[in-house]
Amino acid sequence: MYYVAKVNSDQCADYKCTTCTLYCPEANTLMFDTVNNTSWVDEDRCKGCALCVYVCTDMLDRNCITMVMSGQEG
Amino acid sequence: MSLKYITPAERFKRYLPKDYVELVDFGPFGKTQDEAGPGNMGQFKELVEEHPMCSGCWMAYYIRLIFASLPCPEETVTLGTAGCGRLAISQAAVPFIYGNYGDQNAMASGLTRAFRLRFPDKQKDVITIAGDGGTMDIGFSMTMHSWIRGEKFTTIMLDNEVYGNTGGQSSGMSPKGAVLKMAPMGKDFEKMPATKLAQAAGCVYTVRMSPTNIKKAAKIIRRAIFVAREVGPTFIQAYTSCNIEYSIPTEEVFQDAKDQEKDRFQFEEYMTDEAKEVIERVEAEEKAASKSRKAAKKAAAAEAV
Repeated sequence: MYYVAKVNSDQCADYKCTTCTLYCPEANTLMFDTVNNTSWVDEDRCKGCALCVYVCTDMLDRNCITMVMSGQEG
Repeated sequence: MSLKYITPAERFKRYLPKDYVELVDFGPFGKTQDEAGPGNMGQFKELVEEHPMCSGCWMAYYIRLIFASLPCPEETVTLGTAGCGRLAISQAAVPFIYGNYGDQNAMASGLTRAFRLRFPDKQKDVITIAGDGGTMDIGFSMTMHSWIRGEKFTTIMLDNEVYGNTGGQSSGMSPKGAVLKMAPMGKDFEKMPATKLAQAAGCVYTVRMSPTNIKKAAKIIRRAIFVAREVGPTFIQAYTSCNIEYSIPTEEVFQDAKDQEKDRFQFEEYMTDEAKEVIERVEAEEKAASKSRKAAKKAAAAEAV
């Protein structure tokens, strides 16, 4: 069991924003879906550093990303 | 390598690993920075694959940025040495050569010369990416001499101010007074002035920075590569914190990089007149090319309507 980032897609789609995908230390992990206009996390690759939470919450005050236990919904 | 060798035959594609095919189809090979560059990371398949670097590592982030900023990844070779950085650099889809005991700059000298002889019609980029130990402590003599000889390649120092993957010994780049796991009394001499040494040794373009602004960091990396192609040795000293040895909570790593930008890693760019000329020329060319591409795109869209 370990923490991974989870994006609230509905909330994220309201902003035209890709900032979190630019600041993830891992490549090909926090991706941007250009069709639905939202970020999404490849859970198998996420190391749970919560830098994206810092970017989304502390820097931008948008609160779209939370840390959850891997494999659990919600 | 070249683009021709990377691209598989269409019929052969289904037998190849999925990651490889994705890299060819959606990766940055043969694309411009507008299509697959640092500005749209997360929207294309990046060169760096999964690697064993720590969670929230700012060095891993900077390496990701380096590979996204490469002007021509299919014609690039990277070199590195022992240290954390090579764990990620070696996992990228760019040929990587591992140098023992800090000899990456010596090897890069030979490689650059060999490329110029073997491919006189092509522009091959050689980049050494090593930690502060590999560049300024263990590989110091080889780094300095490659600069003194004026070898035309880029040296990037990932400065985390500590020997990160051997348990936290102080390095020449650790700040004075730094208390580390293997230096409990605190380091008792000053941090080495890396950019000044580089300038004294003949680097034509040196930068000290903390990579917090993506556009700026990418521009610096590209400038260093372009200048190295034509003028001489270039050097980037980038702050890539070690959140394990300096006990920085992972979610505060970015804030720490921003704090350091105002402290030990204030932005400092040095270039000779020759280097400046190259930079101005290349950036003007890039701007013009990007403008014409946008105009062509607009014209095509108008035609479609």
